[in-house]
Amino acid sequence: MGTNNVLAAVRRVVADPRMSWAHDPQLWVELFVTMNLAILAADIYIAHSVNHFQKWPEYIPLYFSICAPVLLAIVIALRWIWNLLAPWRDIGYLLGWLSIFIGLGGVLYHLESRFFLDRTLKSLTYAAPFAAPLAYTGLGFLLLVNRMVEVRTSEWARWVILLALGGFFGNFVLSLSDHAANGFFAHTEWIPVISSALATGFLLVPLVMPVTRRYLDLCMVVMLAQGAVGVLGFWFHMQANLIEPGASLWDKLVNGAPPMAPLLFPNLVGLAFVGVWAVLPHVPEPESGQSWLGVAYAWAETERQWFAAG
Amino acid sequence: MSFRSVFIAVVSAFALILAAFLVNRARPRVETDQPTADFVRASGKCAECHARLQYSVVHEYEMSNHAKKAVNCLDCHQPAAGQEKMDHHGFVISKHLTAGNCRGCHEPIYQEYLRSRHAVPSWAAVHGTQGLTPEQVDFAETYQPGSVKRPPNPLTVPEGHPAVTSGCEQCHAVGKPNSDGTVGTCTECHSRHTSSVELARLPTTCAQCHMGPDHSQIEIYNESKHGIMFAAQRSLLKLDADPRTLTTRDMFVPTCATCHMSGINGLKVTHNPSDRLSWYLAAEVSTKRPNYLQAQINMKQVCTQCHTQAAIDRVYAQAEQVLAGTNEKVLAAKAIMDGLHKDGALSGPPFSHPIDFTYFNLWHYDGRTSKHGAFMGGADFVQWHGNYEMLLKHTELQHQADELRREHGHK
Repeated sequence: MGTNNVLAAVRRVVADPRMSWAHDPQLWVELFVTMNLAILAADIYIAHSVNHFQKWPEYIPLYFSICAPVLLAIVIALRWIWNLLAPWRDIGYLLGWLSIFIGLGGVLYHLESRFFLDRTLKSLTYAAPFAAPLAYTGLGFLLLVNRMVEVRTSEWARWVILLALGGFFGNFVLSLSDHAANGFFAHTEWIPVISSALATGFLLVPLVMPVTRRYLDLCMVVMLAQGAVGVLGFWFHMQANLIEPGASLWDKLVNGAPPMAPLLFPNLVGLAFVGVWAVLPHVPEPESGQSWLGVAYAWAETERQWFAAG
Repeated sequence: MSFRSVFIAVVSAFALILAAFLVNRARPRVETDQPTADFVRASGKCAECHARLQYSVVHEYEMSNHAKKAVNCLDCHQPAAGQEKMDHHGFVISKHLTAGNCRGCHEPIYQEYLRSRHAVPSWAAVHGTQGLTPEQVDFAETYQPGSVKRPPNPLTVPEGHPAVTSGCEQCHAVGKPNSDGTVGTCTECHSRHTSSVELARLPTTCAQCHMGPDHSQIEIYNESKHGIMFAAQRSLLKLDADPRTLTTRDMFVPTCATCHMSGINGLKVTHNPSDRLSWYLAAEVSTKRPNYLQAQINMKQVCTQCHTQAAIDRVYAQAEQVLAGTNEKVLAAKAIMDGLHKDGALSGPPFSHPIDFTYFNLWHYDGRTSKHGAFMGGADFVQWHGNYEMLLKHTELQHQADELRREHGHK
């Protein structure tokens, strides 16, 4: 009885017309990009403090990450509160392209720190994390996808999954090269490598072949595991930083294990959720009760439509 | 759920994991088999910044034998016993590197160096026993009697602190006592990041200090047959040959290190040049070293790698004759000076009268040059820069002495 009441209450909240925004995957992607750009400001500040912002281009991503989320927040509000489409579209395009170029330029700058000197695997390991700036490129593409591809279509959903997959593949490369710099001194350093490889493999399938909702269930389990790996990694990195020598906590954070890097895992899980959620309507319905994700989707969507109609 | 989708997901994930393992496995074990994660990280992590800030440091290190043998930055820069530590971007390193950092791997070499005149006696030649512990003084006196228990060089007072710091100490710091209890820095001869045996074998490296009128070894070497041949055939020499297997095929022309330190053709390598030196040539009046016979045998052994015994004995005999003659000339001049002091015609602190400089130049410049020239094959330095100058200064000294005696009413 009590459980039924709770479920009913949750249904009402989910299906409330005032919560219609929460059912809009396009908005979730916009919020994902905005939040990530804002977080990148802090991340870039820590990362480039290692060499005291030695070169002026190192300030470009910092200033971009400070300004872009503010602008995006404004145009998102204009679009979803006041239905002003044009500013959201045009500012989004501008920021999207800028983000893409900043990311690609960043890769070149990072490789220049060592790789272009020697071009060895070792120098790739010890270059500034060369794949990291691609986070900007990925976020830029998300902004473009949200504007150039019709939302709720299968194509849109698969683009989002592709970009989440790109993120996990980036995690695979970064965790491999960063931990190789430690010589994988702790065996636990292999966890994110294996974990991100699994995430990459599982997200690859919906892009290359038709999948069932049961497979998407499995994808979500793999994604939840990624989230746990990220939290565990955050703990390990913080623990290492607190133990290691350093003049101050800031010094330890700047020069030690990057504390925010593992949080990329749960972060990308969010994007993968949006993609999988959006691909669900385009996947054949299973027999009743055979897909957790399908049931949850049907439950929320049906109720929302029922309440909207009612 | 289709099997095909799960199969593709698992296989592609496994392929990535396998690739990661294979790539990591291909990394050299010397890079990954280290006692701590910091040691693994050290060279690459250090290079990330220093490739931009002090690139030559990284480049020199990459060319060094240390790099080839996987000695990384932290191996040398970690604090050794007794050294002041500092945090440096996530690493604990030593604030000042000394021989204490090298001895961790090169202890026997450090011990040889400690017994040489390059160690504490070199420092004491400027500062006396100042800054030295009683143990350091006793140790050095055991192996180099009379070289440390001495007053500071009398020139340090009239020339002043800046001249001593930027002048004398630049060479004599090779034996400077360090705050960690060790003595000297190996990098004076081997440089910091190249850690090069090739550099240490070059005459110009020794010439950083062994040059000029007071110890003109490099000028003499350059004039000698050895020096002429080195200039002509340097490119044919294997200056970087392994010290343990060095032969006359590698170094068929000798540099300073070949005769004084190298273990050529199986001879013992030494970082104590005194092992092969039989006379105190730098002394005012040269005397035999305590290990005269053994040292001469040692040096002659080196000579025999290229020369006949007869030629070697002839050179030694002639050189010792020059030495004896130089001693006589210095003693004659010294007698004049002693007479002036005794008679009260010359008084005051050292280097307060022109005749002090005349006498000092006679033995310290010309006498030494004459003796070094004789042992090192520098004919011009025996004659024109040595004996001729001594003759000239003896005459001047006599004239100045006569003047002083007249000034003081002596006949």
